[in-house]
Amino acid sequence: MKILVTAKRVTDPNAKLVIDDDGSWIDDDVEYILNPFCENAVECALQLAADHDAETIAVGIGDEEVQRYIRQGALARGIDRGIHVEADEQELDSDLIAKILKALVEKESPDLVVLGKQAVDGDSNQVGQLLAEMLGWPQATFASDVKIEGDEVIVTREVDGGLEKLAVTLPAVITADLRLNDPRYASLAGIMKAKRKPLEELELDDLDLDGEEPKVRVVKLHEPTGRSAGVFVADVDELILKLTTEARVL
Amino acid sequence: MPTAPEGDQTLTAQYTKATDPTRAAPPVCPVLCRRPRVSNPSSSNPPSGSGNPLVSDADIRFLLGDVFDVASLLELPAFEAHSVETVDMYLATIRRFSREQLYPAYQLMDRAPPQLIDGRVHVHPLAKKLFAQLVDLGVLTADRSEDVGGFQLPSLVTSAAMLLMMAANLAAVGYVSLTSGAAHLIEVFGDDALRASLMVPMYAGRWAGTMALTEPDAGSSLADLRTAATPTDQGHYLLRGTKIFISGGDQDITENLVHLTLARIDGAPAGIKGVSLFAVPARRPTADGLVYNDVYASQLIHKIGTRGLASVGLTYGDQGDCRGWLVGPENRGMSCMFQLMNEARISVGVEGAAAASVAYHEALAYARARPQGRPMADRDPTSPQRPILVHADVRRLLLRQKAIVEGGIALVLKTAQLADLATHTPDGPERARLGLLLGLLTPVCKSFPAERGLEANSLAMQVHGGYGYTSEYPVESWWRDQRLNSIHEGTTGIQGLDLLGRKVMADRGAAVQVLGGEMTRSVEAAMAIGVEASWCAQLGGALRDVGETTRALGDKAAQGDAAGMLLHSADYLEAFSIVVVAWLWLDMATAAARRLAQTPNAPFYLGKRQAARYYFATELPKAGHLLQLCRDAEPSYGDMQDAWF
Repeated sequence: MKILVTAKRVTDPNAKLVIDDDGSWIDDDVEYILNPFCENAVECALQLAADHDAETIAVGIGDEEVQRYIRQGALARGIDRGIHVEADEQELDSDLIAKILKALVEKESPDLVVLGKQAVDGDSNQVGQLLAEMLGWPQATFASDVKIEGDEVIVTREVDGGLEKLAVTLPAVITADLRLNDPRYASLAGIMKAKRKPLEELELDDLDLDGEEPKVRVVKLHEPTGRSAGVFVADVDELILKLTTEARVL
Repeated sequence: MPTAPEGDQTLTAQYTKATDPTRAAPPVCPVLCRRPRVSNPSSSNPPSGSGNPLVSDADIRFLLGDVFDVASLLELPAFEAHSVETVDMYLATIRRFSREQLYPAYQLMDRAPPQLIDGRVHVHPLAKKLFAQLVDLGVLTADRSEDVGGFQLPSLVTSAAMLLMMAANLAAVGYVSLTSGAAHLIEVFGDDALRASLMVPMYAGRWAGTMALTEPDAGSSLADLRTAATPTDQGHYLLRGTKIFISGGDQDITENLVHLTLARIDGAPAGIKGVSLFAVPARRPTADGLVYNDVYASQLIHKIGTRGLASVGLTYGDQGDCRGWLVGPENRGMSCMFQLMNEARISVGVEGAAAASVAYHEALAYARARPQGRPMADRDPTSPQRPILVHADVRRLLLRQKAIVEGGIALVLKTAQLADLATHTPDGPERARLGLLLGLLTPVCKSFPAERGLEANSLAMQVHGGYGYTSEYPVESWWRDQRLNSIHEGTTGIQGLDLLGRKVMADRGAAVQVLGGEMTRSVEAAMAIGVEASWCAQLGGALRDVGETTRALGDKAAQGDAAGMLLHSADYLEAFSIVVVAWLWLDMATAAARRLAQTPNAPFYLGKRQAARYYFATELPKAGHLLQLCRDAEPSYGDMQDAWF
């Protein structure tokens, strides 16, 4: 059995992001972390691999620094090997990422792809669904429990009304939710092993995706407008007047 | 509750050092340095939205990268398995584990200390869980030799990791570090059989270990210990006696524990020359499994601090069947123990710096958030109150803490780096030279963070006002924890005697000569980069003062007045510590100046420079006065009589 997982790096949600002068992108002098949902995906893959003797592969897409997050976030935790697809992160959207993953699936033929349900930078929540569609595979998103039984994977999903349990036939795509598991910490032994684990470097060209364009373009980034200062009103009448004439909420 | 980012704070950014003609270009990590983040660390503060950082990430990056140059340390053959990348990853894991797991358990363990029930100590359930996690992470053997299954990381790195862990939860980490230290004794001095039967399960984290030295009537004076060991013809000894203040002396975390015990073989000479070292398992391994070995926790010590770590009295041989195995040669127990005492004393330094650090960060966050009063210029009582940080006196409280905490962290990491170099430097004479310096700094490392750290902890409480002395706020607990550090593992008084009587006076002051050479080199580097000339001159003057005082005290000893030489050993230690930490502040100011040459407005480096300024203005001048007391053999307490009290 073979399991492919994603290891996307995202800007640290605690970090203060600075937008470039021309509003095209963020200043990359910022701390990054592994996407927390990808940590759940990695942990899921490791647990399934332990029970079902599977090979595990982590994929990261972006510039060279992405390798650090593949090693630290995935290989040091126990994922067997990594693949880094070199790409300009400004030139990626969910659609193109799904196409890259599809090409990798065709190259590696995994039985299962586990992704984070979304990345906490763009919050798009699209890649898993797009990938399943492109592959023509069944999908189970927002997983809070995953079990493999025979040629099916039994997934409990977190949905608005509560929990939904699905059986999907392998091969399949699963996206991990936060309550799926508690991701393990990378041990020192794991860190030492990670140094020697294979990490394949691929270009878009290697996947016959050279020249593919993203469908979504960032037009402009800007800071949210700040809240203006409040004013004191003399009495309730003035408040009602302002709510009616200025705020127009009454 | 702290929320920690994934470990992404990288050392590697530090490798692109500011241009410095006196230093060769730092090694570049091939993968990570293609796009160096030269402006990091841009701030000494944790990102908004996070909890207490325990230890500043930026400070650790700065010290390991710029000041102590971990990359060149990793080039030693002993560390060839490691790279900057593995160091980065280990620290990232430890940082996250400390913030997410150790720290949230700290207060719970402090409030529910271990209990002695029916002769067994029961610890907090979280202590058990955390012990297992720490073992899984590899903390137990992180700095141990690969020959015994360790990871052989430099002490510089493991000490930085320990700073984080001990700042988060000293008690939880204590069970692990005690085990590692005890196993290390068997590793170095035990025979193959002992290593196989006792050391292996300890390094695997299945058994724990303790250091059993102190007795009710023999603490600072271990030469007077009375625990007896009677030889048998079966290879083991039978032990009888009582030990006290044994940290981790019993617990229900591991299935077994081994007490590394000092005792006197029947008929051995009196004093230190008759003390031997024994490994005494709580439950001895037999063909039928583990059986009770007639040693038990007879009392539990009720401590004010580090309450989560059980401290017990042990009774050996009530039934005449407590079996111990000799570790190292007969009657050489103290020298075995003291060969590893450096390790233990550096560890206490780390504890002290850690307890001061976590409290400082708590106080800093409080001062930024707590509105109270207005700046002097603002007389409008209807204007909103401002955070207390705006008051000069609160900034005094915080800057003094910063100077102590960051000076203390630099001191323990410097000592750890020297421990690495003095063990692993290939060149023999250089290794010996660095060994002298290590010996000299060890009592300073043991005592400065404990003594000045307690003051910093007290100032952190002060920042909190009345809330500081309530148990609703955590600052009081770190003050309680810190209070133990100037007492255990050799009191400050003992450290003063060790420094002046043993380390300084040995080989006609050879170690002080080495220190002088190092300080002179630091001054030259500082001058070259344009660090304030007055600081350089001040440090040079203080160094001469130490030298003259040391010679004067040496003369006193040469004239047969050893007591007069040692009369002010505690004052000497304090003065010496002030000068050593000033030296480290100069090194930090130099490294900061290199960075400021590139990024003149980076708050982190401006803060370093300001803390150095504070230390040179307010602390270093105190050394002269203390040294004067030493030279004059100022007689007030020397001549004081019992009846006059």
